[in-house]
Amino acid sequence: MNSDSAQLKENDACGQASCSDKRAGYIRSFCLSPNKLLFAVKKLDELGYFLEDVSCVHVKEGFELVYHFDHWDNPGRIVLRTIISEDKKEADSIARIFPGADWHERECYDFFGIRFKGHANLIPLLLSPEIDNPPLLKKEKEKKDLNQLLPDPEYDLTSSQDKEFKEYILQFSKSKSKEE
Amino acid sequence: MLDLKLDTSGDFYTRKFQPTPEEDKLILNMGPQHPSTHGVLRIILEIDGEYILRAEPVLGYIHRMQEKMAEVKTYVQYLPNMGRVDYLHALAWNWAYVGAVEKLMGLEVPERAEYIRVITCELNRINSHLLWWGAYLLDLGAFTPIMYAFADREIVMDLLQRITGSRLTYCYYRFGGVSADIDQKFIDDTKEFCKYMRSRFPMYKDLVTDNIILRKRVEDIGHISLETCRKYGATGPVLRGSGKPYDVRRAEPYSVYDRFDFEIPVYNTRDALARYLVRMDEMEQSLRIIEQALDSLPGGDYIHPKVPKILKPPKGEVYFAVEGARGKIGIYLVSDGSKTPYRLKLRSPSFSNLSLFSDVARGTLLADAVSILGSLDLVIPEIDR
Repeated sequence: MNSDSAQLKENDACGQASCSDKRAGYIRSFCLSPNKLLFAVKKLDELGYFLEDVSCVHVKEGFELVYHFDHWDNPGRIVLRTIISEDKKEADSIARIFPGADWHERECYDFFGIRFKGHANLIPLLLSPEIDNPPLLKKEKEKKDLNQLLPDPEYDLTSSQDKEFKEYILQFSKSKSKEE
Repeated sequence: MLDLKLDTSGDFYTRKFQPTPEEDKLILNMGPQHPSTHGVLRIILEIDGEYILRAEPVLGYIHRMQEKMAEVKTYVQYLPNMGRVDYLHALAWNWAYVGAVEKLMGLEVPERAEYIRVITCELNRINSHLLWWGAYLLDLGAFTPIMYAFADREIVMDLLQRITGSRLTYCYYRFGGVSADIDQKFIDDTKEFCKYMRSRFPMYKDLVTDNIILRKRVEDIGHISLETCRKYGATGPVLRGSGKPYDVRRAEPYSVYDRFDFEIPVYNTRDALARYLVRMDEMEQSLRIIEQALDSLPGGDYIHPKVPKILKPPKGEVYFAVEGARGKIGIYLVSDGSKTPYRLKLRSPSFSNLSLFSDVARGTLLADAVSILGSLDLVIPEIDR
């Protein structure tokens, strides 16, 4: 029995991987320009990440879309965020890459009224189709800006993040091919 | 005179669900009051004879806008809501929420409280799996097992009622600990229950699991590939039934789970039977965890002695995940430093697990769709939130 369970632990990659206990609960966060989002998601897909959720935060700068990804064999949460303006209210849909995003995006459409370009079926998911004022929109005086909300805004919001993301991906693929 | 003319135009969702122009296809609404959906889930199906061509779940019948409620209540006032998201594994949601706030505040939880949380959460997991087991078999046409399941569940409910004060929608965890300490009677009774529950599993196996009628309904039905799981973000027994030993308790060890010796049940056949067996094995593993935790239960406080009455977590964001009975429960919390959360996102495992249904159901028999739905172990209030 004991040797069996030891064997199982050895085979079980999750048991060995260490996990960051950074306060915010992720290992890396990237703030991408909206047109780089699809590229980033495709790369994460190739590396075997799975989508945890898609959510949105209404802030002074507009809407902050937050995508959480995690990995089965190398646990560690990756956060992608992109900021879209309030007038445009439009982002690229990632549902073609991760079909699971379909419902998450419909939920964002319900709660915030954000339209996802390229989404095949953007109709209300949880709210009644008759409701036309998204409930999670904040009033002008309730809104906070991102510098007040993120734990480390200077790190999280710098514009060089697109490049950093590419470097991260390169590093990850290298370490993966070494393992194999 | 009554107007008896039938309105065939359908509602918003049926109109959106355009039938294919081919002849002899039928659009069928399964639910929202179908008994096998256990709640109010509706699935629009296009069927060809007995075969499903397309399936589209329609959600939102018991949507309560939990995320908006979070933004208008203080941190403490929102606690009872957590027991009502997933009423079957309420303590895991309790844990995800208090865990997220504690992580953001850097609040230390006394060791004894962590052990009590592990014990009660695992008891609750057994309870949840037992109810799933009974209800799933009821869907498949076996009436007796639910009686056995409820008889055993009753013992756990009594145990938890003594210390938490409620039987279903628990609100037992507090920021920095739990609301009440456990006593010697609870410890003795729980040990007794572990022994008793172990003696029940062989009977469950002989009576139900090895039964040819059940096997015919679940074996080789509803195959879910690992790739599908990844693309849809499926977790929990659904993922482990597809052959991936991913469990948040191991992958992102929270609390004191890294101190216990337990296995992650995995089956590679990817069918409804695999998911069934994963849950049956998980109950035994939960018993193992409970026994280990009871044996090494430390003394001390059951709640952090200096938790402020009015909670104001610092500005920032946090993501905290725990392993619920249905998979990965995640809380994404953004705080602006005030008394109420700025934004709270609930990531519910059933939501992701159900979203792969239309993919999996394509081409299966209508009767098998019931079997597949049941094997996903859905809790509708958790999906709708």
